[in-house]
Amino acid sequence: MPQTVFAPWDDPAEKPLIQFKGVTKRFGDFTAIDNIDLDIYAREFFALLGPSGCGKTTLMRMLAGFETPTEGKILLSGQDIGPVPPNQRAVNMMFQSYALFPHLTIWDNIAFGLRREGRDKAAIEARVEEMLKLTRLAKFAKRKPHQISGGQRQRVALARSLAKAPKLLLLDEPLGALDRKLREETQFELMDIQEKTGTTFVIVTHDQEEAMTVASRVAVMDEGKLMQVSTPDAIYEAPSSVYVADFIGDVNIIEGKAHQTGTKLQIDWAEGQPALSATTTKNFDLGQTCYMAIRPEKIAISADRPSGANVLQGEILDIAYLGNISTYHVKLPTGHVIKAQQANTRRISRREFTWEDKVWISWTDTAAVVLAQ
Amino acid sequence: MTPRLRAWALSAPALFLVALFLGLPVLSTLATTFGDPKGPFAQYAAFFDSRFRMTVLWRTMEVAVITTTISVIVGFMTAWVVAKSPARIKSLLIIAAVFPLLTGVVVRSFAWLIILGKNGILNDTLLWLGLISEPLSMLYTQFSVTIAMVYLFVPLMILTLVGVLEAIPQDLTEAAASLGATPAAAFRQVVLPMAVPGLIVGSVLVFTGSFTSYATPQLLGGERQMMMGTFLYQRAMVTFDWVGASTIAAVMVVVTLTTVLVMSKLARRLNPVAG
Repeated sequence: MPQTVFAPWDDPAEKPLIQFKGVTKRFGDFTAIDNIDLDIYAREFFALLGPSGCGKTTLMRMLAGFETPTEGKILLSGQDIGPVPPNQRAVNMMFQSYALFPHLTIWDNIAFGLRREGRDKAAIEARVEEMLKLTRLAKFAKRKPHQISGGQRQRVALARSLAKAPKLLLLDEPLGALDRKLREETQFELMDIQEKTGTTFVIVTHDQEEAMTVASRVAVMDEGKLMQVSTPDAIYEAPSSVYVADFIGDVNIIEGKAHQTGTKLQIDWAEGQPALSATTTKNFDLGQTCYMAIRPEKIAISADRPSGANVLQGEILDIAYLGNISTYHVKLPTGHVIKAQQANTRRISRREFTWEDKVWISWTDTAAVVLAQ
Repeated sequence: MTPRLRAWALSAPALFLVALFLGLPVLSTLATTFGDPKGPFAQYAAFFDSRFRMTVLWRTMEVAVITTTISVIVGFMTAWVVAKSPARIKSLLIIAAVFPLLTGVVVRSFAWLIILGKNGILNDTLLWLGLISEPLSMLYTQFSVTIAMVYLFVPLMILTLVGVLEAIPQDLTEAAASLGATPAAAFRQVVLPMAVPGLIVGSVLVFTGSFTSYATPQLLGGERQMMMGTFLYQRAMVTFDWVGASTIAAVMVVVTLTTVLVMSKLARRLNPVAG
């Protein structure tokens, strides 16, 4: 591939735009952010992902200046922004509620930030028109926020926060209020706008699909801590913990005892059952408790016994038909229920498997990730 | 019974009461003012010709406008503090603001007699501090009437504005800050325009209330600071000029109705989410 891959986080010469250095935030007895170190680079589309209450919004509000760290420092382009009030930061925030000013027209909403800068009239006008064009809102310039649709309001909020060309744009659940179809369209629009403007985006979301779609890197958070910071594919295919594996997408977790020889791993997972095999680059002690994480789409399902590294027999407990794919819940004699997915490449004239069928499930020794915790 | 008929049937007792005890008396009062032998508008011509009556009308207007203005300023500042307080303190502050409303108007006006009198608390204090050498006469002035009215009406303004200010989402002021607005600019550009409808409602309440008040001007203004309410009483109960009293009542009704209509039109025009 001749194109260079965008990966400033792998380049030691690259200076991060934002640096969190040992940042902790407490509200009374409650620790919202627990000693976080994090670097975010210019032009990144960075996603903070986690369940509600994990601290992702607090982290973002600290970047915007609405909260100050209890301990630690936040640097923007190498400068400590702790003492800088929100209105003097080169950071704009787009709110989950959009926070459009209801008494101002779309045009005036977008011009709001530019007017505060005291730019001259012609410059403001040109910039507002540019933003209206970028977000395809020119037709609605004279309307007020309550006279346009939710999707349009979302674009106004985006145009307004981009108008001042901030170094950093913070997006708090920007697509949460949109319906599924519009949300998917808007995700691509966001990526397009991010690329066109070259602004660094930090997005907060609890929707893992959204994070995976838009982000260059994803930070998975839980209880004020960063669980993993990596590219979407690494988060999905090489999660660092059971928590991350389980939070992103669907996964089967099988607990067992490790038995390692080189990169080969045998896992004793149930009495009377052959050990499962996997490969790993990590080191496990003999008999150490480990967790095998396999994504359902990596498990094949068949009527006849296949050959392969890991082959198990079970009975179909449940079938979830999702249109493009079907998920089979297969109950093993040990009581484990394993989810296996199959793409529905043909229209169903006849289902291949049905409830209570005895089937074989199998996966290769490289299909699973083995985790220590 | 159709739903519409049922609705009429349900409201019939109330309608009957309103018609009998409000509609009829008001109409008959108005009717008497047009029954003058010198022509239907002779009473009104006499009213607007009389320098004394016009003085009373203008004084009442002036007191009502000043009371409204001070109540807006004091009420807004207080409501802002209340709206921004944490929940527990907020309910305490609201109770404190509403507390005076639990006692009667007469009692509250009377309190000012004690404060502002010749041997009142204020004069005693000023004498003791040596700021004045003899007691000031503060009672029965426009000042005493106005200060008591402000005291009377500020709680109403606070209650109205707390609701309005609380309804302005914090997101909006934060968004303004994020877009580079200083706290003062965010207040001017976002909070104030959004509070306008509440300010108008509060102003209408205070203006009509103070324009039509009776007990406070009677106790603190007396004969010297006659206002429309006290003037009307005097005409009706002292000189038994019922037609003259009715004319005063009609003028008051017109002034308050006009204020309400103009202000509600203005409110609709300035409503942040309309048009």
